[in-house]
Amino acid sequence: MQALLSFEQAPPLSAPLRFFLSAPLFAVLAGLLLLWSGPELFASRWTPAALALTHLISAGFMLQVMIGALFQILPVVAGANLARPRLVAKLVHSTTVLGTLLLAAGFLGRPPLAFELAVFFLAGGLALFVVAAGRALYGVPSTSPTIRGLKLALFGLAVTVLIGALLAATIGGWLALPVVKMTSVHFGWGFVGWGVVLLAAVALVVVPMFQMTPPYPPWFSRHFCRATPIVLSVWSIAEMADHQASLAWLSGAVVLVAVAFAGATLSLQRRSKRARFDATQRLWCVAMLCVLAACLLWLLAAVLPGLAEWPQWPLLFGVLILSGGFMSVMIGMLYKIVPFLIWLHLQNLGGGRVMAPNMNKVIAGQRIDRQTLAHFASLALLLAASAWPEWFTYPAGIALLMANAWLLLNLLAAVAFYRQQRSKIEALRPAMVSG
Amino acid sequence: MAAEVVIDARALEPPEPLLRTMEALEHLDSDSTLVVLLPREPYPLYRALAVNGFGWQTECRPDGSVEVRIRRQST
Repeated sequence: MQALLSFEQAPPLSAPLRFFLSAPLFAVLAGLLLLWSGPELFASRWTPAALALTHLISAGFMLQVMIGALFQILPVVAGANLARPRLVAKLVHSTTVLGTLLLAAGFLGRPPLAFELAVFFLAGGLALFVVAAGRALYGVPSTSPTIRGLKLALFGLAVTVLIGALLAATIGGWLALPVVKMTSVHFGWGFVGWGVVLLAAVALVVVPMFQMTPPYPPWFSRHFCRATPIVLSVWSIAEMADHQASLAWLSGAVVLVAVAFAGATLSLQRRSKRARFDATQRLWCVAMLCVLAACLLWLLAAVLPGLAEWPQWPLLFGVLILSGGFMSVMIGMLYKIVPFLIWLHLQNLGGGRVMAPNMNKVIAGQRIDRQTLAHFASLALLLAASAWPEWFTYPAGIALLMANAWLLLNLLAAVAFYRQQRSKIEALRPAMVSG
Repeated sequence: MAAEVVIDARALEPPEPLLRTMEALEHLDSDSTLVVLLPREPYPLYRALAVNGFGWQTECRPDGSVEVRIRRQST
């Protein structure tokens, strides 16, 4: 076995890992916030604590995993190498972590200036990432739907950040834009234009690769990532112009986008060659079912006035999308990406003389299975808490905290495994040189 | 006589395709060609080939899979 990477080419292990290790900490904070604020958090989606919680999960957990994964995926899947990855990773990581913490503090009304500083750090860090990733992708021909999807997702991120900054300037009193409409558009671009498009672009590669399924059907891989930003753009214009006649149909089209992705993925999973689903497959399956449930809930709220008036339905919808959809998929991805990365770097350190241990040994299967169950328990309790806050808020807070502390421990176990194996390889090095 | 060694890695889970390819390269004669069939373009493999002194040609097939033909580079 020969060397796999030259040291100049290898994206440093620390670049994606620093993001992956921070992600669970934000979800632990979200659990603590639930315990601190109690059932009042679920009074409406607009309570300060609910807004802080939403952003700890979306701008905290999700964003950290997505950016960390892109540091690895861009060179591997698209052959697009970020210039100075170590420096860019450090800058983007520190600014986004700080920005998200300040954003949550800002929503909770303390300390003064937290909100303004949060926007400065988050928008600055993400703008740097968009430019660095955009430069890496510039000139890379869109030879596959995944490469095209990655470019479009990056565009979706840029739009989300821009609208978020405008929204913050409006809340700060510098601009006079319609806050509720802008929030919907920010939400749409963040979750669909960036989140779903990135997920779909990556899924085109990783679902067949890691779940042993046939490829996505051509109608999906060719058109999904391209059609989504177009649908979103038309919907955004109708939303801002308050064009009620077309808004219901266009909102339905955006929901249909999510249904198409979830439906196509579940249909592939049914044709997996694996006799028994592994944890990643279970996490993806639950995620897609949650997305379908959220879409059904949205549809029912649109046609049943009784449901639309129930103040808890948007919270239930939010938990299905955030914890059920995005978090489940991302935990499943982490359990494939982190062991692969560690295996790759160990293989490279061995220089072809020492074989890296099997990838499945990086994080023990039993640890992964148990943490996956803990995540599902936290999802069930969060769903219950959004419907009956007075009964379930505290158990949900404890479950969210524990499931994510466990996830962090599993990721740290992978890092410890890497360090231990690296020491072994370094101890063998003199013998390798003389041999 | 120039021989061809073929690895069909289209149905293998990572990192198996990379491992099998690198192992086959260990034993590749200077006048032989290793043909690897993969479900997508293997950018990490290209880097490993460049580091270890191999040349390659990639052909994309209509079904989306790729065929990578690898030979030792003459020094």
